[in-house]
Amino acid sequence: MNLFFLQNAVSASSAVNYLPIALQVLCAAGFVALTLGISPFLGPNRKTAEKLETYESGIHSVGNARQPVAIKYFLVAILFVLFDVEVIFFYPYAVNFRELGWNGFLAVLMFVGFFVCGFYYIIKKGALQWED
Amino acid sequence: MNAIILSAILGVILMFSGIFVTSKTAIRNIATAGMALLLLVNIAEQGGFHLFNVNTHNMLVFSKFGLLFNSIAFSATLLFFLVSAKDITNVGINAAEYFALIFFISCGIAIVSSFNSLLLLFLGIEIISIPLYILTGSDKRNLKSNEASLKYFLMGSFSTGIMLLGIALVYGAKASFSMEQMHSSINAGRNAWFYAGLLLVLISMLFKVSAAPFHFWTPDVYDGAPTVFTSFMATIVKAGVFIALVRLFDMSFVGSGYDWQLIIAIVTAATLFIGNITAIFQQSVKRMLAYSSIAQAGFMLFGVFSQNDFSREGIILYTLGYSLATIGIFAVLIKMKDYTFEGFNGLARTEPVLAATTTIFLLSLAGIPLTIGFFAKYFMLASAVKSGSHLWLVIFAILCAAISVYYYFRVIQSMYFKTGLAETEPVTPVFRWLLAGMAAAVIILGIFPNLVLQYLYF
Repeated sequence: MNLFFLQNAVSASSAVNYLPIALQVLCAAGFVALTLGISPFLGPNRKTAEKLETYESGIHSVGNARQPVAIKYFLVAILFVLFDVEVIFFYPYAVNFRELGWNGFLAVLMFVGFFVCGFYYIIKKGALQWED
Repeated sequence: MNAIILSAILGVILMFSGIFVTSKTAIRNIATAGMALLLLVNIAEQGGFHLFNVNTHNMLVFSKFGLLFNSIAFSATLLFFLVSAKDITNVGINAAEYFALIFFISCGIAIVSSFNSLLLLFLGIEIISIPLYILTGSDKRNLKSNEASLKYFLMGSFSTGIMLLGIALVYGAKASFSMEQMHSSINAGRNAWFYAGLLLVLISMLFKVSAAPFHFWTPDVYDGAPTVFTSFMATIVKAGVFIALVRLFDMSFVGSGYDWQLIIAIVTAATLFIGNITAIFQQSVKRMLAYSSIAQAGFMLFGVFSQNDFSREGIILYTLGYSLATIGIFAVLIKMKDYTFEGFNGLARTEPVLAATTTIFLLSLAGIPLTIGFFAKYFMLASAVKSGSHLWLVIFAILCAAISVYYYFRVIQSMYFKTGLAETEPVTPVFRWLLAGMAAAVIILGIFPNLVLQYLYF
């Protein structure tokens, strides 16, 4: 019985302790396969032309997908990644907020300061301007 | 520490001057003054004057050798700015950003010249590489420049991945990133991991300095990049990575009881051979210089091969001599209308100063006595002889140096002994004086190399 409770695991390096994880993986994969496999048989099945059409977020597809897209999308995506990464750095700081004290606060302030510099730079360079 | 922080700040300042300053001349002046300030501050640190007191937790250690190297790299960059700043601003519309990226690269060079932790080595190498990818592709309308940039980026990121894997293995063996722990006896049973990790780091660094058999990106990238940035990449950046390599070896492989000298000897021989032989067959001077930079990297590898006082002096001299000469040649090359050997035909008649200085630079690269290139090569070979093993490598290197004379002299032959009308862009008298000054420096340092080397000791 001990096998199935992770907190009772004695030695972390024993392969037997990973059995619950293996079971969970099996269950998860099995559940997905089962539900996907069974649904065509259970539900009603009426294939009309409109239903089989590709759509994205409820909008009808228009034209060919292989057409030039404004580079602005790419720029915005890159900027998003940049600021997203900044936010990730805040998590470890938030967890250690008290231990790091004023020194940590100043360090983070410096980090944010650099980022604000960069933000100001991209605004001034017109990276967020949509109309040409 | 002065140089690391100040170069980053100067980079940001130049970024913003791209917004607020519209005059290209003003941007050039700001950049040149900034680089001069950086050099001054670094020289001040050599004298024991610290602007910033930062506790680096022993991740950075500032030695005389590293600081002297910084000074040399910054003076070379300053010269590069003085000679080619106008061409940098002519590459594209983002003139200030190109300078900003060069300042960031200087920051990376200052980090790798004094790293004491594999983490900082990785950071430094990345700070050097990423701006270079951008600079390579800065000529946006040029297809070749785009191709070069993409190639460099893909290959460079793979080699960075290899370096990370190596660092991870070293960490697995020694449980520390610190260079001082490299010889500790922790986990002595995992020495195989340690060596495998160091070899992977070594492979990645050899890629960055374009040593054979990891040199395949070099000709395409150097050829495709705007010529001003090729000049910067082939000289200062390459030397910076070499310093990192020397530092890494000095503190990890040496004394570890592993027969690393044979590996380096084979790489050196291959680099010398491939670089020199392929350079002979080039039709374009720019491509010839790319291969010649591979060949010169082979000589600089001697500094890694034989870790002793001679090699340390040698690599400082080599950096200086090679940078001076190559920056000079590239500065002339930018002014040429035609980059092939035929394009240089008769340059001695149309632009005698340019031809004469180029000749001196080429003689220095070939290692002819009375130029700094001779002493640089001499110190490198002497260090290998002193280290006592693999003497065949020294003989091979001398043979390769003899081969290199052929393609360097081909340019001289075109300039002086062939008839033709070499066409150049308009050249200012200041440019001529600067080139003459650099050529004079090549000769003076070739007669008195101690003018530089004395700073290593006091």
